Amino acid sequence: MLEVEGLTKQFSSGIMKKRNVSAVDCVSFHIKKGKTLGLVGESGCGKTTIGRLILRLVEPTSGKVVFDGIDLLSLKRSELRKIRPRMQMIFQDPDSSLNPRLKIGTSIAEPLRLHGTVPKDERAQKIMELVETVGLNPEHVNRYPYQLSGGQNQRVVLARILALNPDLIIADEPTSSLDVSVQAQILNLMRDLQKKFNHTYLFISHDLEVVKIMSDQIAVMYLGKLVEVGETTDVYNNAKHPYTQALLSSRRILLKGETPGPADIPTGCRFHPRCPQKQDKCAIEEPEPVEVEKGHYVACHLV
Amino acid sequence: MIMRISDLKTNFPTPDGIVRAVDTIDLSIRDTETFGLIGETGCGKTVLGLTIMRLLHPAATMEGEIIYKGKNLLEASEAEMRTIRGREIAIILQNPTTSLNPVMRVGEQIAEAIRLHQGLNKKDAAAKAVEMLDAVRIPSPSQRANEYPHEFSGGMKQRVMIAMGLACNPSFIIADEPTKGLDVTIKAQIVELMKEMTERKAMLLITHDLSVARELCDRIALMYAGELVEYAPLKGIFESPLHPYTRGFLGSLPERGLVPIPGMSPSLIDFPDGCRFHPRCEHATEVCRREHPELVEFNAGHFVRCHHARS
Repeated sequence: MLEVEGLTKQFSSGIMKKRNVSAVDCVSFHIKKGKTLGLVGESGCGKTTIGRLILRLVEPTSGKVVFDGIDLLSLKRSELRKIRPRMQMIFQDPDSSLNPRLKIGTSIAEPLRLHGTVPKDERAQKIMELVETVGLNPEHVNRYPYQLSGGQNQRVVLARILALNPDLIIADEPTSSLDVSVQAQILNLMRDLQKKFNHTYLFISHDLEVVKIMSDQIAVMYLGKLVEVGETTDVYNNAKHPYTQALLSSRRILLKGETPGPADIPTGCRFHPRCPQKQDKCAIEEPEPVEVEKGHYVACHLV
Repeated sequence: MIMRISDLKTNFPTPDGIVRAVDTIDLSIRDTETFGLIGETGCGKTVLGLTIMRLLHPAATMEGEIIYKGKNLLEASEAEMRTIRGREIAIILQNPTTSLNPVMRVGEQIAEAIRLHQGLNKKDAAAKAVEMLDAVRIPSPSQRANEYPHEFSGGMKQRVMIAMGLACNPSFIIADEPTKGLDVTIKAQIVELMKEMTERKAMLLITHDLSVARELCDRIALMYAGELVEYAPLKGIFESPLHPYTRGFLGSLPERGLVPIPGMSPSLIDFPDGCRFHPRCEHATEVCRREHPELVEFNAGHFVRCHHARS
């Protein structure tokens, strides 16, 4: 459904834009239809940028994104606009994703109106259908976002997305601003919707427990690069990269220091200054991804 | 027993009605224990912390007792409170980015607290500030003391907040979501640091993150709609939770199966009759709709507020 190959984004910064900062560096993965890939990493690692690059909200520097057989990066703006309804994004903060001055019903009607998928006289009925699908009450359509809770607003966001009947949904930390009991409600809803509509998800999160339960495949990202990709069970039961191992150790492996910024990426393996198992080679040579078992890739000199 | 809170009520008058943020809380904290207060957004847990520090809006009304080392804090004058804050009881606030002064050097901010509370002169206070930065493992502390908060990362700022809280060697620490917004690996570092720095102190840890509470706390209380619904030693909460809310809270964690609690928390203005949790509770019966349950000791040290508590 979605194939990403060597996706790279460099931002220029500094005086006269002379310095290049690699936010995303040669990232490759693919997601099959109806499946979920969980993209895990800490803040600033580039995981949100990947979501934006796929949708071309930010233009990639190089690489390839193929969506359902269509090479997205070669499309003209007008062609892209036609295909956009099939790829939707959920953002972190539902309250700021909705127009505060539009009633919930109007917000949900907006995508229907813009893309003209549903005739005018059937719209009201369609809105009610969507409201019910995401578990809201009919009276909610006449309320404003500030009158609803964060969890309810995230349901409204989902209703807006479902209005377009998308194939691919990129969810960028969809529950990180919600309480645990509400998070469980939203994640369950997302899983039910996926089963019902056969959505493909790219699920971006920093929460490993959430990603584990939501994903078929997992990609672990560190400072712009994927360090480990594989089936969820393989990555969780048989983590090979020291960074993945530390993330999964539930705080038993303590990493020293902090992630450096993308402006000063360490030489060799970019994780080596924090790596508990580093060797001389790690500071000099950048490791290439190696397939350690079927579909399980690790970029580390130790494997 | 360093602190005993009894019958504590904190109310805020608002145009929509009285917000009963803290409603009849009873709780004691022992000399060197870490007591975890767990609850979801808007349950009143932060207000409880601020009530102890007497840092609420003047319109707020407080009733009951907070006995700290034999003294009722609710009756203390503002001048007395000023000698208690920082020196006796310190608070580590959530969101260090907004809690630190952006136009003041980090070292000076810590030194300011030390000068105010311990009466040290400027030079000694500055030296003590550097010492504190070193204690919370900030590399090259004397140089970093001269930098501004924007030059620090989120994790480093949280370390500064901890340094500031502990600078005057208080006996009681209130930590309000100290790991909120931090990355997984940084969170691990901060939990480790807090564990070490508060070993011989009493701490009230306010959080919604059970994984953090699990590592730091000796006892845990769950707060729902302004009141405590259950409290027990750590093991009791995790291994034999009694209240349906506690069970629901644990069950909605991804690692425990992601089973949500239906519905939403009530607003603090308008509680349901009877048990405040009954509209969301699958075990609710007639008595739950009618009568507000009392907090009772079910097992030794394990308190629960439920008509149908059973192990």
